[in-house]
Amino acid sequence: MSPATAIRSARFIGGPETTEATLRPSAGLQPQAMALETRHLSRTVVERVLVSDISVQVQPGEVLAVVGPSGAGKSSFLRLLNRLDEPTGGTVCLNGRDYRELAPQELRRRVGMVMQVAYLFPGTVAANVAFGPRQRSARLLPEQIAALLERVGLPGYQERDVINLSGGEAQRVSLARALANAPEALLLDEPTSALDDVSARGIEDLVLSIIRERRMTCVIVTHNTVQAHRVADRTMMLEAGKLVTIGPTKEVLRDR
Amino acid sequence: MIAELLSNLNGSVVMGMAQAAGAIALCAAVVLLCRRFAVHVEREAAISVARGLVQMVFVGVVLAVLLHGNLLVGALILLAMTFAAAVTASRRARDIKGSLPFSFYAIAAGSGVVIAAMLATGTLATDVAVLVPVGSMIIANAMNACAQSVERFRADVTAHVGHIEAGLALGGDPAVTVAPYVQSAVYASLLPRLDMLKSLGLVWIPGVMAGMMVSGASPIYAGIYQFVIVAMILAASGIAGLIVTLLMRGRAFSAAAQLTLRPGEPQQAPDRLPKIMPSRQ
Repeated sequence: MSPATAIRSARFIGGPETTEATLRPSAGLQPQAMALETRHLSRTVVERVLVSDISVQVQPGEVLAVVGPSGAGKSSFLRLLNRLDEPTGGTVCLNGRDYRELAPQELRRRVGMVMQVAYLFPGTVAANVAFGPRQRSARLLPEQIAALLERVGLPGYQERDVINLSGGEAQRVSLARALANAPEALLLDEPTSALDDVSARGIEDLVLSIIRERRMTCVIVTHNTVQAHRVADRTMMLEAGKLVTIGPTKEVLRDR
Repeated sequence: MIAELLSNLNGSVVMGMAQAAGAIALCAAVVLLCRRFAVHVEREAAISVARGLVQMVFVGVVLAVLLHGNLLVGALILLAMTFAAAVTASRRARDIKGSLPFSFYAIAAGSGVVIAAMLATGTLATDVAVLVPVGSMIIANAMNACAQSVERFRADVTAHVGHIEAGLALGGDPAVTVAPYVQSAVYASLLPRLDMLKSLGLVWIPGVMAGMMVSGASPIYAGIYQFVIVAMILAASGIAGLIVTLLMRGRAFSAAAQLTLRPGEPQQAPDRLPKIMPSRQ
């Protein structure tokens, strides 16, 4: 068993976060994992190739890391997966279905995203967490918000103003906000790169435990190969927008 | 028509040109003063002064010829002014496709509704000599509101790309994700007009009132009439600002709810949070 798998198993079987109390109120927010497949996915902007002909499959519940040097197209690739940007070639299939058949709002609810910077909306933590469900006229119960915040390590933070949060806390709220939509897949765009080491490791452990607990499909962009070792089942390496290699993380990052 | 024009070319025109020369000299002095402090507006000031003078002389000639024209003539002149205003306002958003027609629709709607209301209530006479000057004031203010809305909306959206895309990534409707910036754009365009209304009579006595008093009208009626004009300017500005911002909002996103109005990649992180929480519309 790889270290990453061991950590994941430990979290899933009986980590301190996965208690009945924290899961029960949000039980209705846990969907099935999603299979995610890119088919010849490409994006070119003004003759600049950002992503070039990438075809990969991510199995339900799998964690795929995307690594590569700066400017390799990692974030560009990720942004195509929830259609924040439009592919100029190829497409993405969710459970075998072309994602262009889905309304963008529905697609983004099902494929959540946590960005490098939290980008919280001014107001309370609770209002931020409730933002996603409110867009489809759903209302999160106060207990569900409390449970989500407890799950991300921020118990009792509901009424706090986001302006008073630290970087790590803000990123936890950002994660809770994405989870409130009950996504089937989660995209993480260097979620710890803007944090100090301690906060970064805390967020990483939290994300890992949650995606395992919810059996979520996950694609994480990281420039940190050590992090990729810790979290990812498989890793794909990009260079100049092209897929260089993909495989089990241990093999792809053997010499790194 | 020629006779009408020649009858207006009298000593007062020569005196006016001399006064204009004095005003230009003062502007030139200010430009030189600015230059001393490394504020270079020489070219822009020269173009603006030249354009302003030529345009006002041209308008004077047109009015002299058409002074007693009917409503249709007045409407055509105002339409041409509206188009010129749209061209000017749309320069603020050259890179946004459709900015010229959007500006035209917004200014035409704002000033059109207000001028029509004034004509319908008898507040404004159909005579060209009255309709065109008052109408042009309304159009000019609608143009300013339009330009200010566009400028503010674009600046706010491009400064808050991260927040907007965070909202989109959560399944937010595009209109909801930019709602704070629509509000601030419309508000910003109305603010000068609100201040104008507040300071009416206290800080300034506008030209219409002064002109009416000079021509013998009751100062009280002149004051009330001036209030009506400024209130109508506020209404026209509000309509123009709101319409152009809503039209621009539609252009800020693609059909697949992707933000297309943003600075070149890599995207910049905003240095401040938006003032208003996106809310459901």
